[in-house]
Amino acid sequence: MHRFVVGLPLVGLLVLSAAPRVGESAADEAEVARFEETVQPFIEKTCLPCHNDRRKRGGLSMVSLQAFDSVARDPNTWEKMLGKMRTGEMPPAEDPRPHPETLAKVTAWIDHELERVDRLAPPEPGRLTIRRLNRTEYNNTVRDLLGVDVRPADDFPQDDAGYGFDNIADVLSISPVLMERYVIAAERVARLAVFGPEPTKPTLVRKNSGPRKVVEITTVPDEYDETGLTLPNAAHTMHRFPVDGDYIIRVHAGGIRPAGSEPVTFTLWIDGREVASQTLDAAAQASFSADEQELFGKTLDFRTRVTAGEHWVAVAIPRLFEGLPPSYGGPNPSTRPAPPPREFTPPRRNLPPERIAEIRKRFEEEQRRVRPSNSARVGHLEIGGPYDQATGPLPGTRERIFICGHPAGSHVQGCARRIITNLARRAYRRPVADVDVEPLLELFQQARRAGDSFDQGIAVALQAILVSPDFLFRMELDRAPGGGVAPLSPHELATRLSYFLWASMPDDELMAKADAGTLGDPAVLEAEVRRMLRDERAMSLVREFGGQWLQIRALENINPDVEKYPDFDPYLRMSMREETERFFARIMREDRSILEFLDARYSYVNERLARHYGIPGVRGPEFQLVRLTDPNRGGIVTHASVLTVSSYSTRTSPVLRGRWVLDNLLDAPPPAPPPDTPPIDETGANASMSMRQQLEAHRKNPICAACHVRMDPLGFGLENFDPIGRWRERDGEFPIDATGNLPDGRTFQGPAGLREILSTEEEAFAKALTSKLLTYALGRGLEPYDRRTVRMIARRLPHHEYRFSGLVLEIVNSVPFRMRRGVTTP
Amino acid sequence: MIATGKHLPRRLFLRGLGAAIALPYLDAMTPAFAAGRPAVAPRTRLIFTYVPNGVTMEDWTPATVGRAFELTRILKPMAPFRDRMLVLSGLAHKNAYALGDGPGDHARAAACYLTGVHPKKTAGADIHNGVSVDQIAAKVIGADTRYPSLELGCDDSRTVGNCDSGYSCAYTNSLSWRSETTPNPPETNPRLVFERLFGAFSDAGLSPEARARRQDYRRSVLDHTIERAKALLGVLGPSDRRKMDEYFTAIREVERRIQMAEQDRTGLPDDIEMPTGIPVTYDEYAKLMFEMQRLAMQADLTRVITMMMGREGSMRTYPEIGVPDPHHPLTHHRNTPEWIEKVTQVNEFHMRLFADFLASLQATPDGDGTLFDHSLIVYGSGIADGDRHSHTDLPVIVTGGAGRFRMGQHIRYPEDTPMTNLYLTLLDRVGVQAESIGDSTGRVEHLTDVGTV
Repeated sequence: MHRFVVGLPLVGLLVLSAAPRVGESAADEAEVARFEETVQPFIEKTCLPCHNDRRKRGGLSMVSLQAFDSVARDPNTWEKMLGKMRTGEMPPAEDPRPHPETLAKVTAWIDHELERVDRLAPPEPGRLTIRRLNRTEYNNTVRDLLGVDVRPADDFPQDDAGYGFDNIADVLSISPVLMERYVIAAERVARLAVFGPEPTKPTLVRKNSGPRKVVEITTVPDEYDETGLTLPNAAHTMHRFPVDGDYIIRVHAGGIRPAGSEPVTFTLWIDGREVASQTLDAAAQASFSADEQELFGKTLDFRTRVTAGEHWVAVAIPRLFEGLPPSYGGPNPSTRPAPPPREFTPPRRNLPPERIAEIRKRFEEEQRRVRPSNSARVGHLEIGGPYDQATGPLPGTRERIFICGHPAGSHVQGCARRIITNLARRAYRRPVADVDVEPLLELFQQARRAGDSFDQGIAVALQAILVSPDFLFRMELDRAPGGGVAPLSPHELATRLSYFLWASMPDDELMAKADAGTLGDPAVLEAEVRRMLRDERAMSLVREFGGQWLQIRALENINPDVEKYPDFDPYLRMSMREETERFFARIMREDRSILEFLDARYSYVNERLARHYGIPGVRGPEFQLVRLTDPNRGGIVTHASVLTVSSYSTRTSPVLRGRWVLDNLLDAPPPAPPPDTPPIDETGANASMSMRQQLEAHRKNPICAACHVRMDPLGFGLENFDPIGRWRERDGEFPIDATGNLPDGRTFQGPAGLREILSTEEEAFAKALTSKLLTYALGRGLEPYDRRTVRMIARRLPHHEYRFSGLVLEIVNSVPFRMRRGVTTP
Repeated sequence: MIATGKHLPRRLFLRGLGAAIALPYLDAMTPAFAAGRPAVAPRTRLIFTYVPNGVTMEDWTPATVGRAFELTRILKPMAPFRDRMLVLSGLAHKNAYALGDGPGDHARAAACYLTGVHPKKTAGADIHNGVSVDQIAAKVIGADTRYPSLELGCDDSRTVGNCDSGYSCAYTNSLSWRSETTPNPPETNPRLVFERLFGAFSDAGLSPEARARRQDYRRSVLDHTIERAKALLGVLGPSDRRKMDEYFTAIREVERRIQMAEQDRTGLPDDIEMPTGIPVTYDEYAKLMFEMQRLAMQADLTRVITMMMGREGSMRTYPEIGVPDPHHPLTHHRNTPEWIEKVTQVNEFHMRLFADFLASLQATPDGDGTLFDHSLIVYGSGIADGDRHSHTDLPVIVTGGAGRFRMGQHIRYPEDTPMTNLYLTLLDRVGVQAESIGDSTGRVEHLTDVGTV
């Protein structure tokens, strides 16, 4: 693994500890001359005709930008300008193009000057409000503090999100409902940690089967998945089992089998492993219809031992096309005799003979009708339990609490203080003083005086720790008087680091570095970051940050129209998410280049996804790393997860997808449409025009064009992917035209062309990912003064060969991550 | 299972009389007054228990009318209440028939059952039905309790989508309708019912000592937390202080809720088991849902309850009584004797569970009597014969002591007497004035008279 010395940001810290040096930024005479010679005349001639004080196109006047020192005064506007000139968005296409050489000179000057100005500007770390743990952080923290992995926060109200993330200090509030949940969770967790799980009565949970559609056929395919796992006839669900124990998986069957079929087999899979099989003979139970074997409403129970925690539970019908009557021509046909045809019984009512003949005809037709061969399915699942559950202390949990090392009942004087001090120190993520420990010890003693056991006393103290603001909030204190800027304390830094990378509390090793005061040492900090990124807990960064940055969390709530896209089912949804998570995890774990998000020629698929993508040769539920040979797949934008969350349920949207790319990959989120914008007719109601033609018509309106000229072409490039990310050549009756014409005149073709374009956008992508990751790392929205940090980090990434660790280290070493501004006392 | 109310010995009570006078009305002391007039007027409860998919009428309807009727096979479990119940035949819900709307008898049966109205055929948002009798009653007799009414069910209760031939699931799942367009969807998870009734801090299932201790600790923990929050308010900056204020306010509110919980749980027996979710077997599930009703009435948190033992068209299987087949297809038995037999077994099973519920009400002291004495309870279905989807001659039982009816009879009303006429009569008895309900044409007779038609 490569190591890079991360020096530059530390220079920033040094600069800060000296006096701000604004006055020293006297510019090079040559720079000023170049500005006056090239840049100022360019602005005057090319920009000012629209961006003057009177016309203010796009809300921007550039009159003040004619002064050299405006870059230092207003770097963000200059940065925006630079971006628009580089993408060719400005000057607009209808105006004469500036000479390429002039353009190159101007952009090079701006770039250079911005860099200089950023280097010299006084650093501004901003200020973070005290922040409560969000639900994920609470769950993870309780798990790492006590070894109790019961996700108590799943019962808490949903966290509010801001700036695209749900860990934003300002929007995380505490309601009475949440407080009530905290109090209850604290009691439950404390009891569980000290005494282990209590026997629980078995209960039944219905698992939603999600959108799923079996498209019925009457034939037998040449090739199909004989496990049945990837067919829509199977039900897949994630379930959190509360304790180790036996559980019942109740299968509610659905669909029918042709009369005379053999009984149907159902197979239970847990975490991709086959557990057990059972058969159900629908012919032996009551049905609405006598002409077929009806499975609807019939149930069977699997009982099996499951460990506590979240598991993937699936019930599939193996060898779906076997055991059918011989007339279907399937493998291993049924040996049951076909049931005799039923006699027609005329209705009891007095009906005219022609009416009876009609009913008879319908009856006979119904008897002759060929029944579907693939209709049998799992309707939904219920999970019941636990039976024969594990009770008593959880492995590893008591050791974390009772650090005195004595067996229960033989604690000595001083143990309580040691135990409580240790718990509070870890829970509060900082050294604790008497003022913290004494009241907790008093709670312990109160319990002892009331005649409760030593352990019960500890449980009460733990209960108090878990509702204390010191635990629930990540608190950082102002150290610099009068609104000054000061570095975080080592423990505050350790806490920021662990919640950034793990969404959880610091572990013992990180705490030890903070205790020793060595965490601020660049080599120590870098070693810690690298260690933490390798740790299993860093998957939180993939799930929490990745899930929100790439918006694939929305997969849980997205329901593509089952009639139009019957391929979409919960298993595909789960597989889509897993692909993207594994892809992200690889970049993080193997410390690969972040540019692979744009152009990777590999991905992870299981059989379900491989069939979806048309990748041959992948069998079974296990995910495997595959080389992508199809030029149209590659990079994150062609992940089915991303393509699905950026679509509507019934159709694709080039606008949504274009916007997704601009916002998440190119650091250029389009603004919200102005209030008087006519609504875009993207409804697809106009059947005589393709989506492309409709959008092109929309862009004729110059107000719309300003943004759509950037969004739409990117989306057009992805039009060959349907709303669930499957390849298509046509959209309804219209052949797909996946040509994209970018505002700077470049043209590309389809996903492969788009990937080529995106892979040239290293800087824009670096800024995009940096600002998203910085937002998540800090837990606050970025302010204008933060652009400087984003630019500085993005400029440094090439020196790290764009490695993931390089980005993380740059953020961890940045001024806003390491320091905070105090409050000006009035 | 039932906590017997422990009556304070009369002597003990009299000894403490001086102090006791100021106390509010306590159930535990009522026997001391029993010889005289009750301290307060008894509270009247109105309960509707619904079974889906009809019943096997041949095994339901007693052969003779009048007081000498014999309990049929399905009614057998009601033997302990034979003389405290009425079996009513001939009542009908004409508005549950198609009336030109085509199939959908299950949806109409449930929707019409307490409203007497022909529901609008739609699977969309434009559902339209009538106001149900329980809601009319709840406006009056539910006015003084925390929850005017309680709606329960033993099947998943979706309220959107198509559940029966183009009828919204709101129709098949909800008996209770607050307005023409607003069903009261039943709660199906006993844990949520319990938490709604008794809050999150009821500490059910603990001995009084353990409970008191847990409450002490909870208070101490909150005190500790409040002290700590106060201290922090002093050192934090303005925006941080705002967050801490929020925390502080929330803690105070939780403190208040804990105090309230201690009041609400008055009367909650010590040995009650706190529901943790939906039990795995149906009999445990139904028993628990009945128990929730008993607890709610005992604590006087509500006086009007509807419960669907299954939603209309229920596909539930009953492996615990040897019926692995789904209920609804069984009822379309096409006169197959084995299937009819299984339907009857399911009917008997439901009846047994209901009789157990009645026994539990009978065993629960309430004022000068028992919960059973002070309740009016209707058991029945909106379908008679499940195979033919008939809505005439419905299976109906009226029981409980609150109606002061002449019990222990089988009464046959003229064919097609509106079920809603019975409801008007019941409302009269619980002191609720109503002009009409759905298709009602008047009151039913013979409930108080001697003799029958």
